[in-house]
Amino acid sequence: MKKNLRWLIVLLFIALFPATLGRISPYYNTVLILVGIYVILAVSLDLLIGFAGQISVGHAAFFALGAYTSGILTAKHGLSPSIALLAGLFVSGFVAWGIGRAVLRLKGYYLAMATLGLNAVVVKLITGFASVTGGASGLLNIPPFQIFGLTLQDHTHYYYFVWGIAILVILACLGLAQSPFGSALIAIHSDEEAASTLGIDCPKYKLHVFVISSMLAGVAGSLFAHFMGFIAPDDFDIFTSILVLVMLFLGGVGTIYGAALGAAFLKLLPEVTYRFQNYELFFHGIILVLVLIFMPRGLLGILTDAKNRLLGSGHLLNPPPSGKELQPS
Amino acid sequence: MGNEASRNSQVDGKHFLWVDKITKSFSGLTALLDVSFGIERGHIRALIGPNGAGKTTLLNVISGILSPDSGHIYYRGKDLTRLRPHQIAAEGLSRTFQLVRLFKANNAKVLDNLMIGAHLKLKPSLVKSLFLRGALHRQDRVMRETAYEKLRFVGLEPAAGDALPSNLPFGNQRLLEIARALMSEPEMLLLDEPASGLNDAEVEDFKKLLLAVKAKGMTILLVEHNMKLVMEVADEIVVLNFGRKLADGNCDEISCNRKVIEAYLGSDYMNMAGGNHSG
Repeated sequence: MKKNLRWLIVLLFIALFPATLGRISPYYNTVLILVGIYVILAVSLDLLIGFAGQISVGHAAFFALGAYTSGILTAKHGLSPSIALLAGLFVSGFVAWGIGRAVLRLKGYYLAMATLGLNAVVVKLITGFASVTGGASGLLNIPPFQIFGLTLQDHTHYYYFVWGIAILVILACLGLAQSPFGSALIAIHSDEEAASTLGIDCPKYKLHVFVISSMLAGVAGSLFAHFMGFIAPDDFDIFTSILVLVMLFLGGVGTIYGAALGAAFLKLLPEVTYRFQNYELFFHGIILVLVLIFMPRGLLGILTDAKNRLLGSGHLLNPPPSGKELQPS
Repeated sequence: MGNEASRNSQVDGKHFLWVDKITKSFSGLTALLDVSFGIERGHIRALIGPNGAGKTTLLNVISGILSPDSGHIYYRGKDLTRLRPHQIAAEGLSRTFQLVRLFKANNAKVLDNLMIGAHLKLKPSLVKSLFLRGALHRQDRVMRETAYEKLRFVGLEPAAGDALPSNLPFGNQRLLEIARALMSEPEMLLLDEPASGLNDAEVEDFKKLLLAVKAKGMTILLVEHNMKLVMEVADEIVVLNFGRKLADGNCDEISCNRKVIEAYLGSDYMNMAGGNHSG
């Protein structure tokens, strides 16, 4: 009940934003569209890192695959954006499947190495195949999104579209995380060998979560391409991957909500720090360092603690579900 | 061919699990050499031996974590040797570990651990979890009931379900691991030193639990150092020493076996065992 109320407030805020604050300053509508896209990226990465414990440091590679597949198919081949979005989703998923099959049989951090490499390779390929991708100077003239014959040229419309998808993604990831599928991921995260002796096919589950996480990044890429109308390799380099990782750890890993919060915080932070002009990067960095030092459980952890303190539930840090030690009956 | 026939008679006959000439070495060091023995359905078979005798290695071979250099594992007549651990679990073999291995990531609770144990019952594939959530949710609710049942069965309070595993006293963590192994309703349990670290009262409770598991018709392979417990619950004992089978027989045979006494039990034990049998 309380949880539903919280959701209702967030949804109302998101729904009313363009009509209220966004009306005063339409610029913020565009900022919030980017927030929505990064929410999809961070939440999908949380499913992989926060639940399955598989580290990917190349999430932007799948973001790029979605963006360029969608961009090339629409700008150069005149396909409908909704079909291009699906194509981007499948290309990202297919590449993830290929890499995952090769790497995820192994235990350890091979996925981190492979995704790091993939990110560099994808950026190089985009730059190299200039005739197809536009190369370093970028891919131009990507049409705005169209759905059911309606062109989402207006930013308010696109805002609702992106946030509709972002909320669907959050709900899907939450649903997966809280289902027995999510429990299997947590088992793999904790102890792969013990998980396998309980009947969990670890390589299969790791592969499936990697593929679905990458597909969602591909969707984010497609949404990004049709929003910007112009994409360049710089948008998808390793720093973008790191940015998404920071969003995830800043917000709180393994909670889904935390990832969304971290994405919103980090994308909105420059809107505050730009006032410091020359010192913008300095303040940006300081705030990040402070948050990571003093809030090891992320923004969501701090909010939970603050709520508990206000409502006097007593537990401040990492409240144990039941305080007493349990004795055998 | 004659060899094959005799082996099959052992497999199809009385042996539920048949360990057939297992050899395993780690970079030149032989951990197991030509070890063979069988376990009858519904029996408790103890596997004993000094530290480093290869007991845990054998358990890892049976559960598929290690693959043997040669030899086979037959379970209900089926060759498990090249199967992966999750496939062996699906055949109905469940196990615990010498050092308790509970799932703790993402603040997983006791109940979460049990629900992970129900994986083989729920089979939560990606497609099922995304698109058949209603069906999965109903199954999940049923398994939750089973989880509380298993908690009570091993002697833990239902209230423990909401605790973090690391907040449980050590003995209860062991019990939780057994409850988790029981969630998939296995036909055979492999227990790796389940009584180590338990106090005398806990060992006594644990003995009752083992017999209750046996009474449910489950077959148990018990690796254990606590000789008193072994002598009280085991139907047969197999003794390993330096990776070789030293002896195989019932409790009386083992406690009187000279080689076993010399290698493992020590002369003190002979007097103690003699005392037990006369009394």
